Amino acid sequence: MNETTTTKEPKILILATLSGGYAGADYVGQQHLNYTTNTSILPVRCPSMFSTEFYIQAFEKGIDGIIVMYSGTDSPFKGGPERTAVMVDQTYKKMGELGINIKRLKLAAICTVCKKPFLKQVNEMNKTLNEIGFVQDELADQGKDK
Amino acid sequence: MTEKTNPKPEETKIGVYVCYCGGNISDVVDVEKVAEKMREHPNVTIARTDMSMCSDAGQSIVENDIKELGLTRVVIGACAPSLHEHTFRGTVARGGLNPYYFHHVGLREQDSWVHSNNPGGATEKAVRLMYAGIAKANLLKPLDMIKLKAERHALVIGGGVAGLRAAYDIAGRGINVTLIEKTPFLGGRMAQLETVFPTGNNAREDLHSLINEVRTHPLITIHTLSELVNIRGYIGNYDVQIRSQSRGVSGDNAEAALAACTQEVPDDFNYGLTKRKVVYRAYEGCFPSTPAVDWEHYDGKPIEIDGQKVIFENKKKTFDLRIGAIVIATGFQPYEPPRGDYGYDELPEVVTLPQFIRYMGLRDGNVGELTWKGHPVRDIAAIHCVGSRHLAGVHEPQPDGILNNYCSRVCCTATLHQVNELLDEYPNINVYDFYEDIRTYGLEHESYYTEASKNMVRFLRFHGDQRPEVAAAPEGDTHPVLVKGKDYLTNGLEIEVPVDLVILAVGMVPRPVDDLVDMMKIPKGDDRFLLEVHPKLRPVETPVPGIVLAGTAQSPMNIQESCNAASAAAAKVSVLLASGQVELDPFVAKVDLDKCTGTGDCIEVCEYEDAIVLETMTVEGNEVQRAVVTPANCSGCGNCVSACPHHAIDVQGWEVAHYEAMVDAITMEVEL
Ligand SMILES: Cc1cc2nc3c(=O)[nH]c(=O)nc-3n(C[C@H](O)[C@H](O)[C@H](O)COP(=O)(O)OP(=O)(O)OC[C@H]3O[C@@H](n4cnc5c(N)ncnc54)[C@H](O)[C@@H]3O)c2cc1C
Ligand code: SF4
Ligand code: SF4
Repeated sequence: MNETTTTKEPKILILATLSGGYAGADYVGQQHLNYTTNTSILPVRCPSMFSTEFYIQAFEKGIDGIIVMYSGTDSPFKGGPERTAVMVDQTYKKMGELGINIKRLKLAAICTVCKKPFLKQVNEMNKTLNEIGFVQDELADQGKDK
Repeated sequence: MTEKTNPKPEETKIGVYVCYCGGNISDVVDVEKVAEKMREHPNVTIARTDMSMCSDAGQSIVENDIKELGLTRVVIGACAPSLHEHTFRGTVARGGLNPYYFHHVGLREQDSWVHSNNPGGATEKAVRLMYAGIAKANLLKPLDMIKLKAERHALVIGGGVAGLRAAYDIAGRGINVTLIEKTPFLGGRMAQLETVFPTGNNAREDLHSLINEVRTHPLITIHTLSELVNIRGYIGNYDVQIRSQSRGVSGDNAEAALAACTQEVPDDFNYGLTKRKVVYRAYEGCFPSTPAVDWEHYDGKPIEIDGQKVIFENKKKTFDLRIGAIVIATGFQPYEPPRGDYGYDELPEVVTLPQFIRYMGLRDGNVGELTWKGHPVRDIAAIHCVGSRHLAGVHEPQPDGILNNYCSRVCCTATLHQVNELLDEYPNINVYDFYEDIRTYGLEHESYYTEASKNMVRFLRFHGDQRPEVAAAPEGDTHPVLVKGKDYLTNGLEIEVPVDLVILAVGMVPRPVDDLVDMMKIPKGDDRFLLEVHPKLRPVETPVPGIVLAGTAQSPMNIQESCNAASAAAAKVSVLLASGQVELDPFVAKVDLDKCTGTGDCIEVCEYEDAIVLETMTVEGNEVQRAVVTPANCSGCGNCVSACPHHAIDVQGWEVAHYEAMVDAITMEVEL
């Protein structure tokens, strides 16, 4: 292990619900469809558990883009999707204050068989990150990195 | 199983295992390299690879390592956690560790299978994901499953052969069953068949022996004209609401009402070939034998019975049940071609296979000569794959935008079985069989094809993108219909076959069950059939615990396969409910009373009744309010976690700290 913070390619964190995005990602795998390897998918029960602080810290640690693949109206958790949306909205405001481009955070409803929407989200995030660059450069520009 | 001491993160001894998955992972990911990188981690005591971690041998390695090396955590990188997380928790428990001291990393569906174009990147990603797994494993706490009472009562939805079989098998294990059937009569599609492959038995005779067993079983309650309208709860404890319609007629006036009724509608049992009354029995000998009013078509006008004018009333009632597990056996419907397709619904000489079977069943014995609409039938064309195996870019998707690209599996054998039966009775009829492939799969089912060949059936092979065309023959022709196409058994020769009757071997589509899908949150596949967790390893379970599938609701199946699936579903339900207790993962909220100050923010955002409440307790001599979770009522959604200003709540097994540690691991640079 080598603890440096230099990044070769943008890092995408995907927080994916077991009942939605994570199962969707498994389905993309079963279909043997390709996407980029700069993606790390972590299973979550419901992303309503993540506070603004969690997202901001992830960006500060060097995650360039986060896609929250929640289950939308298919969520087995009452009130979970609504609370997730509230937390993501709050996070957008905080990102604005800190000078982090809000395009780095995306909330997308992905179902268990949503192969095309899954790939579209990953491709779009890659495209965005290629345009706006690394988060650490952005934070350095804001003088937040010193 | 909870250990007394929980080692500090820096003291954990982790065993890491990376699976080849018989090449599924190792063909892309350099599995040995990944294991080598894991050995660099200070907490990793051992890192091994294996051809198949889920095999008995693979699991034994982990069990032995736990015992011999004193491992305190296990991380396995393998297929999707949905397939084997449960298996490996068992492995870890057998080794003597708390089963929640295990973390599963998906390296197949989410790495090797999606990065075959970039093996280097896939290997690097595997290392990253495994490091994240180790970071989480370091922080895991021992947990105990939540034990809840389970209602020893199953609900079976659908009274076709699959639902009946499942109900009978579950009841046979001493568990109560409620069977609900939407229509007024039991039996489903099997009742509409005559003799069936592979036995040649009469379908209704076989069906009735099963219905008799079901209706006389003391543990089975049957509700016809009934549907599920609401469901709440979880495995072991589903609260369901069922709505039943009335039959409209009963004991005393039933026969008189049937006799007196004059309003007629197309008979759906005979696929519209005949008419029936709106007070009706599906067929003679059906169960229940009491007729029922067809509420969809009844015009509401009074019917004169014994000199009295009677208006039938549909007295609907709803009732509630507490259910432990549910079998969905809602079945299929035959594909109905759009008007004009192969001449269907335009040319009177074009029928579907289900209609043809009904037609043959309706005859009063062998009538000497086969006729159709009064004309003798000498030449017949059968066309396979109607409504199945559609090709993108060649065939139109269905009205819902979905292409029927799957094989319906049953139609090839069913067609050849019918053709052979027909030729046994009428050896002088000529049959032309237009097929794309003959798929008479199954033990000795090939005999249907060889017998048809011996019976001089002329086989003509088309290509999927060049299906035969059916058109009316010109006036004055010897036959009313022409079937045209290319035959690839004779090098694509253009052929034109004049026939008296065309039988379309239509495929299967699932019965529409969107209401159930929405209520139960169960997935459908690309083909609209209900989807199992895994086609090989968990073939009858849905991802919703306690809800299983039986029969053709899941995919095209013949009767034998439908019953196999139903018995498998019944076995699953029986195992779940046998002990009267279910064990649930302990992934519920937990309050850290040292951090909680009783602000109540958590309660504000919790949508579950009595999951979290403020209770008064004494801390250091002072009466204070603190949040307290009732695990049985908590869904583990985590709404409360992000709401607490003091980070005093977490969902056990899925803590925010776990994610923070995983993000740390993911953002480290990996050098291979
Ligand atoms: C033309 C043709 C010929 C065939 N020939 C043969 C053969 O020779 N041999 C063979 O092995 N197989 C044959 N099959 C296949 C056989 O018909 C099926 O395998 C079998 O009928 C499937 O049974 P099932 O219980 O899964 O579905 P179904 O018979 O469709 O039963 C489902 C039941 O569920 C009910 N239902 C639906 N939705 C709900 C709801 N929401 N609530 C409550 N109830 C509901 C329906 O009303 C129905 O009664 C043939 C099929 C066709 C089309
Ligand atoms: S079983 Fe035969 S007729 Fe039916 S879809 Fe498959 S190949 Fe076509
Ligand atoms: S995890 Fe969800 S259900 Fe449980 S107490 Fe928190 S908010 Fe309520």
